[in-house]
Amino acid sequence: MPDMLFPVAVFFAAIFTDNILLTNYLGMCSFLSVSKELETSAGLGIAVTFVLAVTTALNWVVYHLVLVPFELEYLRFIVFIIIIAAFVQLIEMVIERYSEGLYFALGIFLPLITVNCAILGASLFMIIRDYSFITSFFFGLGSGIGWFIAIMAMAGIRQRLKNAKIPPGLDGAGIALVIAGFMAMAFMGFSGMIQIS
Amino acid sequence: MAAGMKKKTFLAPLGKDNPVFVQILGICSTLAVTNKLENTMVMVLGVMFTIALSSWTLSLVRKWIPSRIRMMVETMVIATYVIIVDISLKAFYPEMWKQLGPYVGLIITNCIVMGRVEAFALQNKPTLSLIDGLASGMGYGYVLLSIAFVRELLGTGSLWGFKILGSWWTNWSIMVMPPGGFFMLAIFIWIVHESFLKKGKEEEHA
Amino acid sequence: MKTQNFYMRRIHPLVFMAVVTIICILLTASLHLSTFDRVKNNEQFFLRRSILDAAAIEHDGQPGTVATLYQDSVTETNGVYQVKGSDGTMRYVSQLTGPGLWGPITIMVGFAEDHKTLTGVSIVSQNETPGLGARIEEPWFTRQFVGKQGPFRRVEEGTADSPEEMDGITGATRTSESFKNIMNRAITESATKSGGQ
Repeated sequence: MPDMLFPVAVFFAAIFTDNILLTNYLGMCSFLSVSKELETSAGLGIAVTFVLAVTTALNWVVYHLVLVPFELEYLRFIVFIIIIAAFVQLIEMVIERYSEGLYFALGIFLPLITVNCAILGASLFMIIRDYSFITSFFFGLGSGIGWFIAIMAMAGIRQRLKNAKIPPGLDGAGIALVIAGFMAMAFMGFSGMIQIS
Repeated sequence: MAAGMKKKTFLAPLGKDNPVFVQILGICSTLAVTNKLENTMVMVLGVMFTIALSSWTLSLVRKWIPSRIRMMVETMVIATYVIIVDISLKAFYPEMWKQLGPYVGLIITNCIVMGRVEAFALQNKPTLSLIDGLASGMGYGYVLLSIAFVRELLGTGSLWGFKILGSWWTNWSIMVMPPGGFFMLAIFIWIVHESFLKKGKEEEHA
Repeated sequence: MKTQNFYMRRIHPLVFMAVVTIICILLTASLHLSTFDRVKNNEQFFLRRSILDAAAIEHDGQPGTVATLYQDSVTETNGVYQVKGSDGTMRYVSQLTGPGLWGPITIMVGFAEDHKTLTGVSIVSQNETPGLGARIEEPWFTRQFVGKQGPFRRVEEGTADSPEEMDGITGATRTSESFKNIMNRAITESATKSGGQ
């Protein structure tokens, strides 16, 4: 396969077949607690996508231009999490300053994002898999979009379930996990779509 | 009095305040490796180590932490312990380190660690925080280990890498695949909610 | 009182953060440096062991025996490891990297004296999904190539019954497919190399 297409393949793989949420279980905490409403899910999904795409690229730059030359790779956990936290803080400040509407729509989700495992997870995966800069960016973006699709689908299903009769012990998180399981199975069905050969 | 407090602190996260069942916290970093018992054990030990020691450390310095940079300090301390786990695994248990890959690093974003520090360690004495951390880690650990037990047994017919079930057993592949983890966790939560959490509610009413 | 406040508000957080950062970095750095040699040794051990595995040289997996066996029986020329078996025949082991589902898969492939028959395959590094694609590291998977000549064709897990068929891994179709491609490339490369000699 020509190298040009590799980022594209990774992009689609991250959205569908190897959805960061449904196959790696990353970002579960906010996924389960926020997915009750469609609107809030959309807000969080967009925020996650944006932060994922940017921080993955940012962390790539810091890792390869600062940490590797100085042989400080073992500090990557601290550095990545601080970059993510700082970036989220920055975005919060910028949004607050320039767009009140956006701040009310997304602002409340931003603190949740720092501790979203998917963000740090994508950065760690990209290092371990030795992606190039472009591939990393597409991987981050794809993971974010995949997460967005998963939480939107979940919120839609959960809204429909509001009037359903669910066994009391399974209500809430239990049924959400069952749905996530079925979604994971459905997403596995995309397997044949992308061929890396 | 003090001993009673310690015992209570120790027991609560194992039973009715179990972080996984009650709050569904912190499953992100570990659920992915629950398709093998051995990997799960190492991850759980790593999480226990991190929670216990970061609770202890932050509780020691809790009076001096400026509230504005509280989160940064917490993250820093947690990340340091996680790096210690990572480096130790890399040096002394490299095969496991290779298998766990990025998941060790993800302990940093495990909500339980940060959650226990915020909710308990910053208000309590170091020893008590250490006990709370250990107990939360264990409460979290036994849930994931039971999930891993069922998944590895049904999915591959083996436990800890050793074949347990004979050749008559057809591997239930879905169990080791991602959906299996979701279903197992859902079933566990269901069982627990139906049985002892409900009992707890009845006691409260009585 | 006022200076006290100013100190507590502005300076103290900075000093505190700086102290915490320095302590954390000192701790991790000292641990990193003290285990540095061990990590290097581990890496060398893994590489040597995978060469021995690919050449089908029996060993007990202990670092000591692997080192002696390696020194006794392996010589390297132009990236090809020539391994002398206990029965006196030569095996030719070379390292090969190809794209996997998530990142590069690096393997050691060993051929017998005819440069066609496989003596063994071992995985040097891979980043496939744990429990799915990562199962290429399991012995049943790598052992299936021993004594065969390929080129291979992928079939469902547990159904391979002719020498050209390779057992895939259920749920990891693309990893299996990529692995098959790397194997087939190894076979053609080995044939051309031996043809040129």
